[in-house]
Amino acid sequence: MEGDIVQAAKFIGAGLSMIGALGAGVGIGLSVQGAVQGMARNPDAYGNLLVNMILGIAFSEAIAIYCLVVAFLMLFVL
Amino acid sequence: METTRKWRWGINRWFILLFIILSIVAINLVAPVQPHIQVAPERILLEPLFNMGPLGDFYLVNTLPTLLIVHIFIISLAYMVRQSLRKGDLVPLGVAGAMEGLIEVLYNLTESSAGKHAKKIFPWFATILIFVLVANLMKLLPGMESIGVMHPYEHGHEIQALGGGWYNLLPGEAEVDGYVLTPFFRAVSTDLNFTLALALISVVMTQVIGVQAQGLRYFSKFINFTTMFKKPFFGFMDFLVGLLELISEFAKILSFTFRLFGVMFAGFVLVALVATMLPVFVPSLIYMFELFMGVIQAFVFGMLTMVFMSMATRGHGDEEHH
Repeated sequence: MEGDIVQAAKFIGAGLSMIGALGAGVGIGLSVQGAVQGMARNPDAYGNLLVNMILGIAFSEAIAIYCLVVAFLMLFVL
Repeated sequence: METTRKWRWGINRWFILLFIILSIVAINLVAPVQPHIQVAPERILLEPLFNMGPLGDFYLVNTLPTLLIVHIFIISLAYMVRQSLRKGDLVPLGVAGAMEGLIEVLYNLTESSAGKHAKKIFPWFATILIFVLVANLMKLLPGMESIGVMHPYEHGHEIQALGGGWYNLLPGEAEVDGYVLTPFFRAVSTDLNFTLALALISVVMTQVIGVQAQGLRYFSKFINFTTMFKKPFFGFMDFLVGLLELISEFAKILSFTFRLFGVMFAGFVLVALVATMLPVFVPSLIYMFELFMGVIQAFVFGMLTMVFMSMATRGHGDEEHH
């Protein structure tokens, strides 16, 4: 019985930790929106904008990946 | 005269259908087993190879053989390029041509962001990018995470003898003496030691390149007393901002490490779970996504290293001059 509760708490904790991916999703969406608007207005800046957009996405994606790592730690290590 | 061959859907779609039917037959013969998922790399030999004193025991874990393969692959690439250079081809073909294209693109990227320091920064950028790229793509090869040795395990699976010392895992959980598969090869990027080592190299070399470019003035970014006495309030703020820069330098190590590790490990878990639950056709789409993610993560790792290094070569007040 006790083991079952611990197991359930692990799964709930892993699920809750993934709430953090919400912010990363909003962040990636906003940065892509800005970059695509810039590309539409000034197609010459395409390459430069693309590189900076990917960098920005990588930064905000890192937050979601921290959540993912915490979830994995709860599921497979603890 | 160049003739462009048209993409022939006519034959290729029957191949796809054939492979789908083959995979349906295959999963009926050999049922898919959900692999044992573990964050730390698995040990191929349960006994430690040798003792390293205070550092603990050294185990042969299954990311080490993959690292060896990655090294052999990169060295043979370099050898092929060297052979082509020896022959004195002005227009390199094949592997050498592809590598020349890649290096040229990367060098132009470095030069556009680092300017005159590009020669110093480029080797680190290109080395990290090519190494991580090969390491990430290596895990897509068939047999990478599916062939290995059996170890006894508490919640293991039953096994079926195939003859000749080969065994096959069965999906059901064993009542007594179950086994679990430890693959010979596991993707290098799913090992925290590998990503941490690359992150340390990247961040430490950023400091070294910063000092080479600016001298000791580089450290005034972190411990900033220059405006402390001229403008008391904002000077103090500058000092605090410098301390934040110092903290963010350590945060870079963490973020480099966990970004690559997290994405690659998530990919491994995704492939494992999807291939167990929906073994027909869907895993190939996941593999396509993994190919994309591997390339993007290698690009991001190298690109961030390059951007941080070129930011380190630029001083604090340089912006006002031009």
